[in-house]
Amino acid sequence: MKPIGADERTTAQEGSAHSDEQARPLVLELRKVTCAYEVGRAAISDVSFSVREGEILCLLGPSGCGKTTTLRVIAGFEPVVGGEVYLKGQLVSAPGVLLPTERRRVGMVFQEYALFPHLRVSENIAFGLRDLPSVQRETQVHAMLAMTGLTGLERRYPHELSGGQQQRVALARALVQKPVVLLLDEPFSNLDPDMTRKMREDVHDLLRRTKTTAILVTHDHEEAFAMADRVAVLNNGCLEQFDTPETIYHTPSTPFVADFVGQADFIPGTIANGKVLTEIGEFPNQGGYQGGASVVVMVRPDDIHILPVEHSGARILARQFRGSENLYTISLPSGRVVHSSETSTSVFPVGAPVELQIVATHTVLFERKQTQELGA
Amino acid sequence: MICAPLMYIVYLALSADSSVWSRLWNTRIPELLFNTVSLAVSVSAGTFVLGVSLAWLVVRYNFLGRQVWEWALVLPLAMPTYVLAYVYTYLLGVGGPVEQAWQIWAGPEGRVFSPHSYAGATLVMTLDTFPFVYLLTRAALLNFNLSYEEVARVCGASRLRRMLTVTLPLLRPAIVAGLSLVILYVVSDFGAVSLLRFQTFTYAVYQQITGRYDQTAAGVLSLLLVLFALIFLVIERWFRERSRFYQTTGRYRVPARKPCGPLGTGLITLYMVVVFGIAFGLPALLLIHWSVSAVAEGAVDVRFLGFMRNSVFLSGLAATFALLIGTPLAYLASRWPSRLNVLCLQAAYAGYVLPGPVGALALLVLFSHLAPFWYGTAVVLIVAYIVHFLPAGLQTMEPALQQVTPNLEEAARSLGLGPVRTFRETTLPLVQGGFVAAWVLMFLQCMKELPATLLLRPVGFDTLAVRVWLEASEEYYKLAAPSALLIVIMTLPALLLLVSKDWRAA
Repeated sequence: MKPIGADERTTAQEGSAHSDEQARPLVLELRKVTCAYEVGRAAISDVSFSVREGEILCLLGPSGCGKTTTLRVIAGFEPVVGGEVYLKGQLVSAPGVLLPTERRRVGMVFQEYALFPHLRVSENIAFGLRDLPSVQRETQVHAMLAMTGLTGLERRYPHELSGGQQQRVALARALVQKPVVLLLDEPFSNLDPDMTRKMREDVHDLLRRTKTTAILVTHDHEEAFAMADRVAVLNNGCLEQFDTPETIYHTPSTPFVADFVGQADFIPGTIANGKVLTEIGEFPNQGGYQGGASVVVMVRPDDIHILPVEHSGARILARQFRGSENLYTISLPSGRVVHSSETSTSVFPVGAPVELQIVATHTVLFERKQTQELGA
Repeated sequence: MICAPLMYIVYLALSADSSVWSRLWNTRIPELLFNTVSLAVSVSAGTFVLGVSLAWLVVRYNFLGRQVWEWALVLPLAMPTYVLAYVYTYLLGVGGPVEQAWQIWAGPEGRVFSPHSYAGATLVMTLDTFPFVYLLTRAALLNFNLSYEEVARVCGASRLRRMLTVTLPLLRPAIVAGLSLVILYVVSDFGAVSLLRFQTFTYAVYQQITGRYDQTAAGVLSLLLVLFALIFLVIERWFRERSRFYQTTGRYRVPARKPCGPLGTGLITLYMVVVFGIAFGLPALLLIHWSVSAVAEGAVDVRFLGFMRNSVFLSGLAATFALLIGTPLAYLASRWPSRLNVLCLQAAYAGYVLPGPVGALALLVLFSHLAPFWYGTAVVLIVAYIVHFLPAGLQTMEPALQQVTPNLEEAARSLGLGPVRTFRETTLPLVQGGFVAAWVLMFLQCMKELPATLLLRPVGFDTLAVRVWLEASEEYYKLAAPSALLIVIMTLPALLLLVSKDWRAA
């Protein structure tokens, strides 16, 4: 599935961007993990990735792609039928091997928080600290309450809290145990949208301050980009790409990733004289494709600028005002549609003829047949 | 209509002379109070252990024959307390089979506890009512949001600690609901305590009416009983109020059942066989045995078909009317819990603890004043059934309605459906399971009803239950058996319906 050359690019990027992080020890490692709820139907297959200490990793993908299954495998709720999972170098899951969840020292925040409704806030947080002497337990709970901004609410029951407060309690309950790795399953999906932004910042800040290694499951690429050091994109139970957010956005390794993490247009082209010829211009042949090969070029709206002109085959079809930008839909002479993002003050009338300027820093090429499944 | 008998009792008791009060207070009340409370406590403890453990095994473990046991454990509900009581007076009685078996081991002086005792009453009531706790706990376990247990695992809690600190506390509302049914059942039971001659409030009231013709004293005792039950109902409400928050939205996952090895299967099966055997299997076999010899002796004739028809006719009508009356009550109380609506519902609950004989007597007097032309007809009896058993139905209908989020109804309204069509097309299909269960429960209870039927039946209009009690109190074990067996058999299809319906709704 990967275009030629994608492998070298990934390694080259990682080598420079993460040279300092290479020194940090691995906390979690998945090696070709396969998990199946029913025999013969794998929920995830051959998934491999690793997380270093203090890193925040996002598992990103559409619903049903296996991201929650991956999380449950790490937590030890689901056994694996193939591959291995290592936590701090210790083998915890393999076919026939399953270290029980309660001995893994992982923390988990559930999508619906699962706060014990019969326990008060402080009792919820202290739930995992039973082995400590009570004085120490109290100190830790208080420190955690202060850190998560919950001081004063310790006597409340979960149903007496707002959604954001419930989430903080769930976080506090998980963090107070100082977990080896914290697992968050779509933690922001039950919050109001205006609350989500604030909570993302708070949680990110909290994870950094506590130097917590975390894995966060989400279907929202903006959330993944905002939170993660690295992102693992899953589709149909397979790992499509595992990279930094920037790499994933600018040089996606598959058309699925390109389409899933943001707006993308796929322009068909042919290789000739070492260049890619398309109807909107020429691109460098970065993939090393043979002459005459049929390829598609991925362009993002921010790679395309438009200039109003007297006569042109390309016209503005629609404009969508998004506050910080204007997103234009442009029809090309061939009838193909591309998108362009302009500053929020650049307002052109719908129907105006325009000229396209391509300002791409990265050129991403795929074989044409790869994009057909996306309907591009 | 529901409240009228209650009012009458209050009136009767308050108009009583203070000397009646002080006489009763000095003689009967302390003993009756102690007996009633201690019976309720011991039966609660017994049904809690049996009901919760059986529900837990059936939901959380996978063993050979699990599906069979899952419904077999409901069968004791088809065995009325007076039937079980009369079987056990034979089994545990002097010279009975249990004593004979015990003497083989303990020598000729060996004695088992008498069935006419606190222990006997506890045993019979526990075996008869544990399915209430079992059913409600099982339903709650099937609906249990597994994330709670998973969180506890992540927090490092062991299996035992998860059960004690997470699962059981979260099942508390369901268990309390089941136990509240059990306690109301025990407090208002007449059949078993009368046959076992164990003095509780209900039995004493019956004795005051029929033995001493002292309606005032009966009224005083009844008022105390009603007060006792009201206090208990308030406590139960409080628990239920809190439990509203226990149901969180979460992705539902089918709980994984833990497979059992041969040893585990053997132990579980042994446990189930013992409980099922003493609560239903053995008594049923005895009844069949007696019935066969009674039939051979020519004790079953055409009168029998009449008793049978009377029972089905009365119970079916009463259950249907009760459902029609209960629906708006439960609906109003769960949707618009204004003080008045909740009060109406509470009043309906109070009917359940109005002891059978007293409720019946109050109705008799009321009817003879207000509608004398109905006096001595089946109408009075059906009204008595509704007053008595509507609460049991409400207990099942109300949670079913509470589980339907008002948003669904609002969505239907926004799509242009009127209130009636909304109820019919949105609410009703969703609560159907719970309502069917409610109807079945009420039908079962009516079939088995004894004291009100004894006092209110039109002349010559005997039901199966009345026949059983009449024969059994004379210790004609064989003669009572065919009627008892018929009650059990006739309630079986209704029970099967109840189990085949998805009980999760209730």
